Amino acid sequence: MLSEQMQREALSKCIVWFYDGNVRTFYSLDKTHKRAKPNQALGIRRLEKMLMETFKGQWETAIVYENEPRGNELARFKRGARV
Amino acid sequence: MEKQNDKKVHFSFGEVFQNTKSFIDKYNNRQTQLTQKLNANHRATAELIIRLYLKQLNKAAQIGDLNTNSLPGFSTFNESLAKCKGCTKRTIINHKERLKQSGFITQDEHRGKGGVEIWLNREVLGTAKLSTNYGDNVLKIGDATSIFYEKAKNFHPLVHEHQEQLNNNSSVNKSGVPYGHESGKATRTKHEQDKNTEENANPASKRQEKAPERHCKAEKQEQKPGAGRIFLLSLIRQFWDYARKVLYPDLVLSEPEDREILNLIWESVYGKLQSNATEKDWLKYQDTAFNRVNMVARWLARSPGHWIPKPHIYFHPNNERNGFKKTWQWYVKQETLKIEIRNQLLLQQVKAEWQQHEQNKGRFRKKTRLQLFRIQQKRLAGYRDESLNQAYQQCLQRSLHLQNLKRKQQAYAQ
Repeated sequence: MLSEQMQREALSKCIVWFYDGNVRTFYSLDKTHKRAKPNQALGIRRLEKMLMETFKGQWETAIVYENEPRGNELARFKRGARV
Repeated sequence: MEKQNDKKVHFSFGEVFQNTKSFIDKYNNRQTQLTQKLNANHRATAELIIRLYLKQLNKAAQIGDLNTNSLPGFSTFNESLAKCKGCTKRTIINHKERLKQSGFITQDEHRGKGGVEIWLNREVLGTAKLSTNYGDNVLKIGDATSIFYEKAKNFHPLVHEHQEQLNNNSSVNKSGVPYGHESGKATRTKHEQDKNTEENANPASKRQEKAPERHCKAEKQEQKPGAGRIFLLSLIRQFWDYARKVLYPDLVLSEPEDREILNLIWESVYGKLQSNATEKDWLKYQDTAFNRVNMVARWLARSPGHWIPKPHIYFHPNNERNGFKKTWQWYVKQETLKIEIRNQLLLQQVKAEWQQHEQNKGRFRKKTRLQLFRIQQKRLAGYRDESLNQAYQQCLQRSLHLQNLKRKQQAYAQ
């Protein structure tokens, strides 16, 4: 679980609907090190890796949004594949 | 160079020394790191080997027939070479290793007490096939390609140069960054640059300060003789669209990922657009880039075991292992080969024309030798290839030399 500050600073977030009925939100880690320039693409890639490897076979849908109120959708995953 | 006089081979020291020099110079030009280049000491060893080898060869030629197609190697001892050069045996062994690495020595054989036998590159001895592969092939491909010269390490200047400290956090003068970074969108800290500068909070003061900077930037853009920025950025987009279609047809990417890859391509494929090439040159370079993508696609199709990494790794400027950068070497090799084959064909044609002219045959039979020379010279000049001209001159000298020899032989027989 990320700290609240890190959640606020994240550039993207991922909402995951699991097969067991759970819905969880994950926030991206966009820096390679503490003082690095944030890289949104890196954060999205890491979220994708989490979905495809850590939670492989456990989720039905996952959507990555910009971490802003009314943020745009960035990527959508369905049953283990990016669509 | 060998000279056939009464069927006896003779190697001229001067020419072979010149070949040696140009061979080593050419090798050094190809190397980017100073440590990989051959230094004066290696040169001295090479020249020593050449001197002794030619002595052996010329002596052997006097005694019996020497076949230029299969010359014997240079038989020697490491100790005697070391004594001649005034260094240790180990140094000679090390130098031989380096010369072997450079291709100067093609083969060496150790025979224990019998010493060593060394075979040298035929190009150095002048017995190789006429090659038109002089100079820099990268330059022949196009002007914009100069961005692909791997830069040697930046040495500190001998004299201290006073430089203004660059503020890396400032967005000013970062006119090179094409996507995202300029607007500060990626960092989402649009005003961060001004936070630590102890500036007046009043925006008017900022405006006064920033105005001349903008002016400078505009001036710089006006002075830049190369192609327009929008045009160049559109080239990058075109390239990525094409590469994506060909290499990653099933890939789905979000906008930030797309932007990141465009930035990587801007850096790794287009050298941050730092070259001052014209639009025409850039278009030519764009074609080469498309060609390289096609080469990769063909390579992928050739075997199911071939693969390329994801685009953010593949186009990363620091990826020396399996990045797109490597295809540049493929491309240069392919183009060099094409040029070489074209030149060889042209030289063959020239040779055939001279032979036909000598026998009063062919379409140039009514021309004088000078006229034929002029015609050929004009034709070859059209290719604007200095190495081709040099090879033509060599070819001409050889064919004239052969003619003279034939005449002498005929006169001798009569």
